[in-house]
Amino acid sequence: MAAAGGVAVVTGPLAGGPSASAASTSLSSDPILHLIRRATYGITPGLVEEVTRLTWPSWLERQLKPSGVADTLCDGHLARFPLLSMSTAQVRAAQPDNSWQTMQDLGAATVLRAAWSKRQLFEVMVEFWSNHLNVTCPFGDAWDTRHRYDADVIRPHALGRYSDMLVASALHPAMLQFLNNDGSHKRSPNENFGRELLELHTVGVDGGYTEADVRTSALVMTGCSIDWNTRAYTFRPTWHHTGPVRVLGWSSANASAAGGATVAESYLRYLAMHPKTARRIARKLAIRFVSDNPSDALVTALAQTYLSNGSDIRPVLRQLFHSAEFKGSAGQKVRRPYEDLIATVRTLGLGPDTTGTKASMDLYWTVSDMGQAPLGWTQPDGYPDVATAWQSASGTLGRWNAHLNITARWWPNTLTGHPLRTLLPAALPATWGGVVDALGVRLLGQKLAAADRNAVLTFLQKTATGTVAANDQWLTWKLPYFVALILDLPPHGLR
Amino acid sequence: MVSTRACGCPSEEPSRGLSRRSFLRAAAAAGVVSGLGGLGGPLLSTKLAYAADGTSYTGDVLVVLSLRGGFDGLSAVVPAGDPAYYAARPDVAVPANLLLARDQMFGLHPALSPLLPYWQAGTFGAVHAVGQSNPSRSHFAALEEMERAAPGSSLRTGWLDRMLGVRGAGTTFQATQLGSGMAASSFNGPAAELAMRNVDSFKFGGNSAINQRRAAALGAAYATAASTQAAPAGAALGALATTAQLAATAYVPANGAVYPNTKLAKALRDVARLVKAGVGLQVACIDYGDWDFHENLGGPTTGGNFNDQLAVLAGALAAFAADLGTGMSGVTVVTLSEFGRRVTQNGSGGTDHGHGNAVLLLGGGVQGGRVHGPWPGLAGANLDQGDVRGMTDYRTVLGEVLQKRCGAGSLATVFPGFTMPYSLGIVRDRS
Repeated sequence: MAAAGGVAVVTGPLAGGPSASAASTSLSSDPILHLIRRATYGITPGLVEEVTRLTWPSWLERQLKPSGVADTLCDGHLARFPLLSMSTAQVRAAQPDNSWQTMQDLGAATVLRAAWSKRQLFEVMVEFWSNHLNVTCPFGDAWDTRHRYDADVIRPHALGRYSDMLVASALHPAMLQFLNNDGSHKRSPNENFGRELLELHTVGVDGGYTEADVRTSALVMTGCSIDWNTRAYTFRPTWHHTGPVRVLGWSSANASAAGGATVAESYLRYLAMHPKTARRIARKLAIRFVSDNPSDALVTALAQTYLSNGSDIRPVLRQLFHSAEFKGSAGQKVRRPYEDLIATVRTLGLGPDTTGTKASMDLYWTVSDMGQAPLGWTQPDGYPDVATAWQSASGTLGRWNAHLNITARWWPNTLTGHPLRTLLPAALPATWGGVVDALGVRLLGQKLAAADRNAVLTFLQKTATGTVAANDQWLTWKLPYFVALILDLPPHGLR
Repeated sequence: MVSTRACGCPSEEPSRGLSRRSFLRAAAAAGVVSGLGGLGGPLLSTKLAYAADGTSYTGDVLVVLSLRGGFDGLSAVVPAGDPAYYAARPDVAVPANLLLARDQMFGLHPALSPLLPYWQAGTFGAVHAVGQSNPSRSHFAALEEMERAAPGSSLRTGWLDRMLGVRGAGTTFQATQLGSGMAASSFNGPAAELAMRNVDSFKFGGNSAINQRRAAALGAAYATAASTQAAPAGAALGALATTAQLAATAYVPANGAVYPNTKLAKALRDVARLVKAGVGLQVACIDYGDWDFHENLGGPTTGGNFNDQLAVLAGALAAFAADLGTGMSGVTVVTLSEFGRRVTQNGSGGTDHGHGNAVLLLGGGVQGGRVHGPWPGLAGANLDQGDVRGMTDYRTVLGEVLQKRCGAGSLATVFPGFTMPYSLGIVRDRS
């Protein structure tokens, strides 16, 4: 592995990757556009210029240190969700028992941040980890703790060490309840968490563990529970199984009940640093950012970096984005409904409500209806991240309808922004071909490929060289349909 | 602020404030608005419609009604002949003299009266004491496990997805969720399903003439896209063409059937519409939830919570059966709920999460008019932690329907690790 400019770069056989031939011909492979499509929820007016000005590597470095990126607009709007900054005790005091309001707010705030936070890579990674360590939201039992899981488990560690996140997750009331470890007792261990810890959170289903290991895994975690009154994490020594335990390459005398919490943490940290866990995280990151079928060489390289940096995610991401396989992967990832919706809001340059939270909430309902409520995957394995899982006709129609609804500002009807006509240059291009090209550049950062361009011109019943009149109906009352069609086309459906 | 849960089991049903119900209602309202209506009229050329059915599937259309929330099978199909029932539910038991179609043990809740003719005709029946092999009393875990139907395995797919996978390629409408834009997790996996709130709303919003051009443009543009994009786009355009054709003619139910004005009835009406339209429907799913009556189950008359919820079910199913008429010979409806309710009522006039439950079946091939399956009895020693013991694995019910009515052979893929113990005789062989 060669190093250049302090950054480990994957070279040699990885160039191009195994699935480069699947690249779409309709999507630009411009490196800045490619980076924006993968490291953010989509282009916004000015973002291409920002990355260009800072340069690609410097912009990436800033995104990897999100605390240094000012996020005034988003912070201001988040203050409109006061429940989310409350402790569990405060939520319990402020809300009726079992109210879903805080969880619904979390869903809407997740949309808000994805659309409008300047810390885009951070938000993308929050989504990644929220799926990897999924606690579905809304989830009735976590009505008063799910927002803390987001704030205290995912966000502090999203660009930190996975071992820290894993420990925080395993001992968080929301996860303890979601996977039933809260009630797991040495006399009747509940294997749900112990199994998913191995299968999903760490080494993976092919991680080499046995059913006996699953049972031991559950026994190690007995006693990690919650206080039924305060809903805070608590360790119950009398529930903890004692005696020698061994799972994979980890073992402990586990001699005392009082020492059980320490033993459990030791086990979690061992699993986080297991080579199979490293490969599993590396592969998932490569699938998230590179392609649905990343090369084994890339996965191996990322896994080595993960292990040699104590599970710190930042060097892994740095290596990933600088890899030749990443650079050659333009057009190889489809946008899921959520990513499409957020990208639509972003590229249109729309902002959140002037007051209140309605637009974020409406976007949340819209994407729920499209089948991808943020944080809403009900199973513990998180939303799938490959194209084959999203071949849905209803999801496709949902995306198309959302494009027009948002473009025309029919729904959500409280988004803010400039008139639609300002998407076009003040000095209109002379020809319809020029108008289509200009809208393509404005919305996608690129001109449309020939097939897409021709389809648009046919839709408009115009020719490429036809002269443009400023008061043409396609530039006035029909403009939302024109703009929406460009978003309906294949390139906006890719990232 | 500590929630009281007599059952000690996780409850997802809040007592006050924003509830799961109002949450879903808000979602539905948002969805209605997001699908701003078009102006009607033909949307697409007819050549896209009715994509060729690539399968040789000739079995029943399977309609799965998900009674999410924990259906109280004891109140619907009442074991009036078991004295322990009345002892356990002094306030909420259904009085024996009100039961319909009583036999030595069971009688039907009076709210099922719209379905009584079908019970008497032998096309509506029930199986009691049905459960899962690895019972959970958590709504979430029990529902997920039921729809995954692969206990003890690491499979993440749902049983209906695997069923479709065994059959091979079908039409866009082969598997359709009605009443919701989100498909049940039983559809999780590679086989394509369609989820729509209703047939009439599956369309482009906005100006229909412009949208007709939009569809043509998308058809042209996606023709050259990679299959990961072209396939779903083509399916969407094809389905749009079909729904536009269906919407072009106002649907008139047959045989004087009148669907009640309920969401469930509307969804079933769409199922009947798709069945009659011959669009290749193989399985339809409908979610009919909100059965989680921890409080105030109510009496067996109008105004009683359970009564009213059950009346909606019965009214919708009766209209569906009337509408399809002889077409019901090719349709089997089955209800599934993640668990039944505790035998003993709780302190709030409701019942907590339990286990064994009743499954209802409606269809031309159903051997109805009776309650199938071994009955464990409700005397204390026969209970499973206070609940109806699960005597019949729910896969035994589904497996028989799949094999006798839906052309299934081996169930090894659909229900991995499961062996049919015997045939309950709940349906006849399709011939």
